[in-house]
Amino acid sequence: MTGRERIEARIHHQPVDHLPFMPITMMFAADLAGVRYRDYAADHRVLAQAQLQTAERFGFDYVSVISDPAREASDLGGMVEWYDHQPPAIVESAALLSEKSALASLRLPAMEAPGRMRDRIEGVGALARAVGSEKIVEGWVEGPCALAADLRGVNTLMLDFYDDEAFVTELFEFVVAMEIAFAAEQVKAGATLIGVGDAAASLVGPKFYSRFVLPFEQKLVAGIQALGVPVRLHICGNTRKILGGMGTTGAEVVDLDFLSPLGEGRAAMGPEQVLLGNIDPVRALRDGTPASVEAAVASCHAEAGTHYIVGAGCEVTRGTPHENVEAMRRYAREHN
Amino acid sequence: MADLRTLHDAILEGNAKQAAALTQEALAEGLAPLDIIQQAMVPAMDEVGRRFECEEYFVPELLLSARAMKAALEPVRPLLVASGIQPAGRVVIGTVKGDLHDIGKNLVAALLEGGGFEVIDLGADVPAQKFVEAVQSSGAGIVALSALLTVTMPSMKSTIEALDHAGVRSRVKVIVGGAPVTQQFADQIGADGYSENATAAVALARRLSQPA
Repeated sequence: MTGRERIEARIHHQPVDHLPFMPITMMFAADLAGVRYRDYAADHRVLAQAQLQTAERFGFDYVSVISDPAREASDLGGMVEWYDHQPPAIVESAALLSEKSALASLRLPAMEAPGRMRDRIEGVGALARAVGSEKIVEGWVEGPCALAADLRGVNTLMLDFYDDEAFVTELFEFVVAMEIAFAAEQVKAGATLIGVGDAAASLVGPKFYSRFVLPFEQKLVAGIQALGVPVRLHICGNTRKILGGMGTTGAEVVDLDFLSPLGEGRAAMGPEQVLLGNIDPVRALRDGTPASVEAAVASCHAEAGTHYIVGAGCEVTRGTPHENVEAMRRYAREHN
Repeated sequence: MADLRTLHDAILEGNAKQAAALTQEALAEGLAPLDIIQQAMVPAMDEVGRRFECEEYFVPELLLSARAMKAALEPVRPLLVASGIQPAGRVVIGTVKGDLHDIGKNLVAALLEGGGFEVIDLGADVPAQKFVEAVQSSGAGIVALSALLTVTMPSMKSTIEALDHAGVRSRVKVIVGGAPVTQQFADQIGADGYSENATAAVALARRLSQPA
């Protein structure tokens, strides 16, 4: 099977020759290619080359354009700090929506115009041309809570949940419309799956997750699926109290961070949900040995059961020994 | 008669307006500022920390209570200074150079302040020299360093080295935390303590503030 066939078969609950392998790599990939992260995040040609090299070297079943959470905020006019060797970051003290009234004048960016979103779309195109039908090409968008936090400032958004429900709803409406449009451009460019990263959703607790975040995640997932591609949902952090809700977003693949045991995910989401993850990227993957990494992945597999894809809990961190990533691949190749 | 239990509950429920009003009322009735802090504010924020740790409270609730506590503390703070009452300890806190993530640091700062510490919050992306200057000017006994990224963790080491070069390292206890930080890393860089979460950071600060 090709990597793409393997992932698609897993998503559709069909037999696979072995476990699909889909770890997130960003700085690890840039380092492998010997490029500055600044260039990886700024230039889709650099990103695509590094992704292809990493996927080839470690036998990944996919390539991805994920790089940093600041692309959308940047094109909307948000202030972003750039670094040579780490991802660009949004400057919260100068948040675009520090004044709520600014939301009314916010417009969807023109995605055909030069910008960071355009660069991602072109990155998808470059990867799609390079891998053909061999691998999944993963596009990437921010989830409603994550992008709302990027635009409003995460600390302020957390208080908005109590202070101004109407504003939060209006902001989430804007964000979801924007991300569906962004996903559509990436699908047109050749994305065969869209990843949704909704990091801030792990902070809000079950009450606000189910009242505000989940309905918009469901809307975003449905909007992407209407474009004809499946969705991978990844929420960084501890999601143990919202696992049940995450299982109802409709995402074909739920990718859990290491703080949320896959066994709990399985219990909360039922036997059919495809789960991805989730060994601790630092303590288990970076600081472990090939033998301990294989054991950790085996433990994840046992907890997740059949409908499982191998990956780390979050990004494979810079400095992870190559033999440890190879150990993950070895486990994936030897099991199904 | 001012009701400290109601003030405690107002902070716990994150009602800033009510918390400020009840504190004013208590002060007007002649209650000692330190009693208001020790009998209402500290226990309320301890309870917030407990609820956060056992996942009854989440980040919105914690920040809401922290805002109420700050509102309540506002009229009390000048009275404390005027009467020469010392805080439980003085902490300089910040997210290290190169790292703009501050939510975890803010949670720790809020609980430290709620625990009776004076907190000098330097914000995010803080250069080592700024920590040094803050220690020199404030006389803080604890420096709390936060990092969310593996790539910014080395800034924790360089901050400790800067404190050392400035000759103030022996005056302060350095505590570190953040998602990728481990006890092993804390030991490697010569930190005095590591905590896995915000409530444990307050307990650690209390322990390190005790006279040897």
